Amino acid sequence: MSLPTKLIFENKPERRPENPHPDSPKHPEPYVVSPELKKAVNLAIYLRRPLLLEGDAGCGKTRLASAVAYELGLPLYRWDVRSTTKAQDGLYEYDAILRLHDVQTQKVEPQLAVDTAETDEDEEILNRHPANPKHYRKFGALGKAFKLNNCPAVVLIDEIDKADLDFPNDLLTVLDEPWEFKIKETGETIHAHHKPIIIITSNKEKGNLPAPFLRRCLYHYLDFPNDGKLLQEIVEKHYQIRQETSPPSSLVEKAIKRFLFVWNEGGLFKKPGTSEFLDWLKVLHTFEPEPYSADQLEKDNLLPYRELLFKLQQDWKKYAKVT
Amino acid sequence: MSSYNPQDVITHAFMRLRQSGFQLGIGELFAARQAVEGGFGATPEELGQTLKILWCHSPSQQSQFDPIWESLQVYTTTKQPKNIPQKESKPETHLEPEKKHPETPKPLLQDTITEIEPEPELSSLPIRSPFQPAEVEDTSTLQTYYPISRRSMSYRWRYLRRPVGDGPLNVLDINATIEQTTRQGFYLAPVYRRQERNNAHLVLLLDQNGSMIPFHRFTRDLAETATSESSLQREKVDVFYFHNVPAASVYKDLYLTEPIALQTVLSTCDNQTSILIVSDAGAARGYRELKRIRATTNFLFKLKQYSSLIAWLNPMPEERWIGSSAEIIANLVQMYQMDDNGLSNAIDIVRGLLS
Repeated sequence: MSLPTKLIFENKPERRPENPHPDSPKHPEPYVVSPELKKAVNLAIYLRRPLLLEGDAGCGKTRLASAVAYELGLPLYRWDVRSTTKAQDGLYEYDAILRLHDVQTQKVEPQLAVDTAETDEDEEILNRHPANPKHYRKFGALGKAFKLNNCPAVVLIDEIDKADLDFPNDLLTVLDEPWEFKIKETGETIHAHHKPIIIITSNKEKGNLPAPFLRRCLYHYLDFPNDGKLLQEIVEKHYQIRQETSPPSSLVEKAIKRFLFVWNEGGLFKKPGTSEFLDWLKVLHTFEPEPYSADQLEKDNLLPYRELLFKLQQDWKKYAKVT
Repeated sequence: MSSYNPQDVITHAFMRLRQSGFQLGIGELFAARQAVEGGFGATPEELGQTLKILWCHSPSQQSQFDPIWESLQVYTTTKQPKNIPQKESKPETHLEPEKKHPETPKPLLQDTITEIEPEPELSSLPIRSPFQPAEVEDTSTLQTYYPISRRSMSYRWRYLRRPVGDGPLNVLDINATIEQTTRQGFYLAPVYRRQERNNAHLVLLLDQNGSMIPFHRFTRDLAETATSESSLQREKVDVFYFHNVPAASVYKDLYLTEPIALQTVLSTCDNQTSILIVSDAGAARGYRELKRIRATTNFLFKLKQYSSLIAWLNPMPEERWIGSSAEIIANLVQMYQMDDNGLSNAIDIVRGLLS
């Protein structure tokens, strides 16, 4: 199964093909990628092994998937894992109750013949007929990715660690040769035409993932960009791609300096991430009619808008005091 | 540079990493080879990065990878002589990685090595034992010494179950509902089933203090996973603590301050009660005390009158039982070392699968 052209991710949103898949993200994602991460993504695309991203909250684990999908013009299917999620939910769901309901209502008002609604798409089927079990299955993120005919999909499995202990192991059987699964209600076997590009994020909230699962994954640890230049680049890219007016450079500079100082000072129970920084900067810039004065920010003893940065009582109190 | 053959390097790195405890299979080896064919390993540096992404699954493994990779690099491509020229003269010491190892930079160890090393050369007095680099090398395994992980404890506890359908009648049985409706031809009411509950009763007896102090972490995890991360009902898990040998009374708290008579504990047990004892039985210090053996025998004898589902977990490895009182106690009760297999065997015993 070889693709016509080799897919390579370079983090250049302008490389997006002319006619992207309709499910591809509509808006470019401002994202700054380290060379290591870029390599990890390309390895994952090439080998079609899941890429496992770990790192602190708010460092851009989730955003990577849409940056990749946007650039390559591929559809992005996002699967948010919760504590009750089962591996099968990502493949398909089957609505037996609705089918039963349809059988009952049909007795009251007879409906059309069986084959009028033979659309095999996963969009809402209007003319359901209980004689056709296919009308009652609904594909999940992975199921949709498997069904694609002409291109692979990017599947984001977000926060895999939230799920039950067995969840990663159940996934393993699907994410491996022969890349197929069965729908037992309809007797179909769904085979992946193109192996999906899978990006998994984890916070390690419930300890390590099981070893057999880890073995199959590529691994990358996302660090907080603890570097003024890097943060500067992130800010620039963010405002450039969003096409918003960026804050005055003096304010950005001072804000980065102040933020990194707090971040590196230590003693924080929960360190703020990149996303919190961007929010903070936005508030400094546009919350008041006038942007916050850069000189004022430097002089301030008390950090302005600290409710955006500190999420724990201890941290909050620490910076509530005038030092 | 022309001597660089990525496929060979991959195989060497693979074996070397496996020796260091990386969990890699043939699939991962093939994946790495495929990656090189796809152009992800044109230079040694690139290959190193590729393998790191592919084979390391945590930051600590990544930091473990670097020194290993460096030591291999010297061995395969003699291009980089590194800063110590002496190493070049014997590049074939593949079988003795420990010799090379202390030379590769290890930020934490370096200080201690450089401090100790000059001393044995200067003073001939045999005051301290000779420096043995082979022993220091094992820091990586020391820092991750987990005979059993919390995750696998929660896994294993799940097998301890006695499902009884005596819960509230509130589980909707969709299949039965549909079947009934089709049989009747009309829909009347949903079919409910009783909620199943795990009726297993577990008594955990944990040895505390003394020689068990190094293992407190594991006994604590064991108690925590049993009460809150297993399928057991919370009120059906009883954790008691003792010191060395359960005497006339055991304790309800881990500081051994709230005594409860052993008889009271035993009276809650029936022949379905699973009893798991965690103690080193003297193996940690290698003692063989008749007093302890006799007391333990008495206790076990009393216990067996109530339940036969008794297993003993010993946090010391089995080789260390020999010669200590653990060896003798192991003849009286099913004793397993506290690792993955041991816990799973012990749980098989206490759920009454084997006897």
